[in-house]
Amino acid sequence: MIKAGQIEKGTALLIKGQPYICVEREFVNPGKGSAFVRVRLKSPSTGQVLRETFKTQDNVEDIRVEDRDCQYLYNDGEFFHFMLTETYDQIDIPLASFEEYQYIMKEGETYRCTFWESELLDIQVPTKVVFEVAEAEEAIKGDTVTGATKNVVTETGLTVRVPIFIKQGERILVNTETKEYIERVNK
Amino acid sequence: MSIRIRCLSVHTTTFTKNFDTAIVALVDIEVIKLRSKLKNSLRRWFDENGYLEVSTPLLSPSLIPESSISIFSTIYSSYLHGERELYLVPSPELHMKRIIHKTHQSIYQISKCFRNDEQSGSHHNPEFTMLEYYTVGADEIDSIEITQRLFDQTKLPNTPDHLLPPFKKMSMAEVCYLVGGFDLEKVQNIRDLKEVAKNKGLTLPEKPESWDDTFNRLFLNFVEPFLPQDKPLVIYDYPRQIECLAKDKPNSFYKKRWELYAGGVELANCYDEEDDYTKIADFFRKQATLIALKEGLPIADVDYEMLDIFDGTFPQCSGVALGFDRLLMLQGRFTRVGDLILFNLSDTLKRI
Repeated sequence: MIKAGQIEKGTALLIKGQPYICVEREFVNPGKGSAFVRVRLKSPSTGQVLRETFKTQDNVEDIRVEDRDCQYLYNDGEFFHFMLTETYDQIDIPLASFEEYQYIMKEGETYRCTFWESELLDIQVPTKVVFEVAEAEEAIKGDTVTGATKNVVTETGLTVRVPIFIKQGERILVNTETKEYIERVNK
Repeated sequence: MSIRIRCLSVHTTTFTKNFDTAIVALVDIEVIKLRSKLKNSLRRWFDENGYLEVSTPLLSPSLIPESSISIFSTIYSSYLHGERELYLVPSPELHMKRIIHKTHQSIYQISKCFRNDEQSGSHHNPEFTMLEYYTVGADEIDSIEITQRLFDQTKLPNTPDHLLPPFKKMSMAEVCYLVGGFDLEKVQNIRDLKEVAKNKGLTLPEKPESWDDTFNRLFLNFVEPFLPQDKPLVIYDYPRQIECLAKDKPNSFYKKRWELYAGGVELANCYDEEDDYTKIADFFRKQATLIALKEGLPIADVDYEMLDIFDGTFPQCSGVALGFDRLLMLQGRFTRVGDLILFNLSDTLKRI
């Protein structure tokens, strides 16, 4: 058991017998009231999202999890296919469970994953990732307005709004939570 | 004393090492300009509308006992006074009311407030800036109109329309019924309230819980996230069970209190200020008991000296406490209050 006030992003909880992972947490303190924490929990097996507001002093059941390395192989439009690097066992996860990572994870890349027994609960995708620009519109000549932006598509299929000077083949650093461009990365 | 010096030296070393990186990330000139612009515009408005600006202590030997607030305390050491426990004020209310009692003057203050245990998040920081204004001769209904004029005449350029007057007004009973789907008047006792909470699927703790805690569970799960956001919303007539220093509304279950929500964010709290000595003394005693239960400490004596201003001469007045950082966040179209508080604690702690 932990106190609800200790829940943070990535904390694994057992709610009504089902494992959930916290994907968002917000402290709330109503005027003249006790402190509460509002969380968004996701069921990794179904992708179902649960919104709960607990008093920070409430007891919640946390579960013992362990991290294992998994290589991301590909997705077939329905499942993500991973391979446990230790055992070479293959794991299939419904796309709906981690939709937000569909255009962020790179095929062949190894990710640290959180497991509860044999169930994959979370994929620890870094918050800042370098991508290669696979498609970029050419900047319009004479368009020198400061702050002008355009869309580019990364090698993983992610669309990112970037400054107009970014060209195809260049590498950019992206915040994977907000999907926002941070900076150009020199080779 | 030696322990304190040692702590200080450790922190100084760490701070110096990381200070350059920290300062670059935490100081944003646009934020400084924005804060200054809104603060100046608020000050001008209050000055032009007959309010006097006051500056009251941030460090105080006594506070209004409030069980819902965790405080910061420190030790003042001097040869003359020995060691005295002092507190960082969670609100300037106590001192401002002393000024009102003495001067019968409408006053305002933009000052720092401190609340321990407030976890930094999108809308919180343990140290924040509060705009607090008291209008003498006014009640809480007048304060709605005053606050609308204040919003209209001090807004930052490009403030989104849904954050500007006219305010929508709904009673707490109305929002509970229309948004939360339960009848507030039918859940006045804890048994009925718990029944509603359970029927809505909430898991309640086994140990007894106060009416206001269970009510807040219902409000925060089923009402607050779904409040209309097309215009700022004043929720008035708060249940009496949520104890506070607002007057009771006669012949009703309610207090003369409202809260303002804008863009879904709780922005301001207003009372028709209670001035009845007996009721305020009761509030102090009850809160002192609740604090003792919460902290597992003996019940602290009530500081009756704080109450001597409620001697029958305290003027009719209404006070509003408004989160300045939140107002700036909303008007400046930011999503995190931490982006507007220079050197906000969570970012600072991550870096140091």
